Amino acid sequence: MIALRFSWRSLVRQPARATLGILGVAAVGALLFDMLMLSDGLIVSMRDLLDRTGFDVRITASGDLRRDGDRIREASSVVASISRVPGVDTVIGLRFVDAEADLPGGAAAAPEGTGGPDAAGPRRDTIDVVFQGVLGQTAPWTLVEGRDPGPAGEVVVSRSFADAMHVGVGARIAVRARCVSRDDVLPPARLRVSGIAEFPFELVGDNTVSGPMQVVDAACGGARADEADLILAKGTGETDLTATAIRDGHRALSVATNEQVLGRLQRNGFTYFRQISVVLSTVTLAFALLLITVLLTVSVNQRLGEIAALRALGFSRGRVVADVLCESMLIVGLGGLLSLPLGALLAQGLDGILKSMPGIPSQMSFFVLAPATVVIHAALLTATAVAASLYPMQIVARLPIAATLRNEVLS
Amino acid sequence: MTATRLAGLLALLVIVLAPVVVVLAPSPASAQTATATAATPADIPAVLVSRQAAAALDLSVGSVVQVAPPDGSRARDFRVAGIYEPTPDPSRLGNAIHAVRLHLPDVLALTNPPDAVRGAESVDAINIRLTPGADAAAFARDVNARLPGVAARPATDAGAAAGPFRVLERFHLAIAIVTIIASTVFLVALTVMLVDERRETVGVLRLIGLPTSRVLVQVLLEGLLVAATGSAFGLVLALASEGVINRFFQWRYDTALLFVQVTPSVAATCVMIAIPLGVSATVVASWLLLRRNALRLARR
Repeated sequence: MIALRFSWRSLVRQPARATLGILGVAAVGALLFDMLMLSDGLIVSMRDLLDRTGFDVRITASGDLRRDGDRIREASSVVASISRVPGVDTVIGLRFVDAEADLPGGAAAAPEGTGGPDAAGPRRDTIDVVFQGVLGQTAPWTLVEGRDPGPAGEVVVSRSFADAMHVGVGARIAVRARCVSRDDVLPPARLRVSGIAEFPFELVGDNTVSGPMQVVDAACGGARADEADLILAKGTGETDLTATAIRDGHRALSVATNEQVLGRLQRNGFTYFRQISVVLSTVTLAFALLLITVLLTVSVNQRLGEIAALRALGFSRGRVVADVLCESMLIVGLGGLLSLPLGALLAQGLDGILKSMPGIPSQMSFFVLAPATVVIHAALLTATAVAASLYPMQIVARLPIAATLRNEVLS
Repeated sequence: MTATRLAGLLALLVIVLAPVVVVLAPSPASAQTATATAATPADIPAVLVSRQAAAALDLSVGSVVQVAPPDGSRARDFRVAGIYEPTPDPSRLGNAIHAVRLHLPDVLALTNPPDAVRGAESVDAINIRLTPGADAAAFARDVNARLPGVAARPATDAGAAAGPFRVLERFHLAIAIVTIIASTVFLVALTVMLVDERRETVGVLRLIGLPTSRVLVQVLLEGLLVAATGSAFGLVLALASEGVINRFFQWRYDTALLFVQVTPSVAATCVMIAIPLGVSATVVASWLLLRRNALRLARR
């Protein structure tokens, strides 16, 4: 405790140097904190989104997680068949169709750049829409306003759609579905907005309109009816057993639990961010180690006479070594504490940049704070503080008292 | 561009590209399945197999594979004419590219419904190489105007449309800015300490008659030398680690992609940031010291 107080006084005696050291550690620590949040952020965030949907098993035709993968044919009979599998509680089928919706005021009312990346340039009188059909009784959305759609001509829309179209509950919209190819020219389906909902997997830039499957089938004029991109199932018991039972009955389909989906993403989809996080964390720590070592070494070298005098006065070797260690811990500790709010602010900015990436669910975060992150951050900074003080501690421990004092007097 | 010129160009390009166009691979959505078989007759149609698929199926040139649409129907034998390295694709990082390249008529024979009307076949995309000096943007505009239903765009635009990579570029830039800020703080801290260590020397120089500006010039030159040496060392380190990083990630993801590339412009940008930053930090720290009285500096 006395060593800590002594080190504090050493720091306070040179406020400019101490402040710069602490600020430097804070900046490096903030970057380290962000990289630790990034390393698992996507997985934690994705797990949260998957859990929020309330379904445990995802069934696709080809195992492709993208919406443009192969479709499941005769979806209604597959859904009915899966719902009869023991251990299955709820099953729904989802079909995603590209569509466009007419803006109420035409081109003049269109917000700049509506309609995704293709829309740069002149304003359009339509916006691109993801038209989602639901086969089953459970809704894959969280209602924010209004009520769930009825069986005929009613849909719920996402907040982004409502904002882009300037519509609310009860409004009427015209949606033209492109069910077979992007060149489809179908008559618009006149629909009524029964509610505004939150779609956990709505992608950045998407505008979602969703309703019962028969509404989508009607908008498609019957084209590719009874197809689904994805079937979601909720089990009553052990998820793995439920998935195995579904897989046994439907060999042609790809069946994955949420954990398996996460595992696949961890192996393939999100590895880039994990790798960059590891690389930047390592570089950051090496950078911090080098610079704190230099700061402490220069600081100790400037105070050799003072340290020798203290030893001559009776301070033990262990005590002066502890002073150096405490000084390192104080610089890194204070910098580390400051790095937490700085890191949180920086993470917000970086998350904003990364969330503009197409194909990412808008509710997903790249930087997620987990309790373990703070613990790992503290442990890494502590290890850095200790490692950085090793060399200056060695200088202090081996300091020849008489020779140093003599040199000090002569100089 | 006149219609004659457009037609001439198209004809020329079709001739130039004929060998390329006819080996267009099926779209990934068609997801054909390939399995190795034993027979090796020389007159069966040829395919190219990606290196990863060849490794996974234990294929070599001359092997025979059976290729079929996803439903397994209409499977046909093909002879492996060659094994190719797939064009590196950042968007497929982490996924082994198991691909087979067939002649276009063979793809159509496999994927078209048996009752399809002859002449109604479609392809996903056509790649066109223009004659040297041709204006790709003007050509694309011309094609768009003359062929309704076709969307033509220059390859450079297609690259720029790779949204995820533009976002990653911005992300890397943000990280670089934070790193530079952290480095600057440390650099100033170090220079303050180093200058402070030399306060007596500076005080003596002032006392023997050297003006502040003369001492400052000396510090400036010293800072310049240190910053230039540091920058050169940094560049050498970057060049040395470039190969190591690329080899590691190419091994990790089984790809020919380049992950790190120290281009002349990147090197120039780094030097243009590092040298002024190093010199400024030294001069600012020295200036704070030089403002003090010479006697105080010399501790007399």
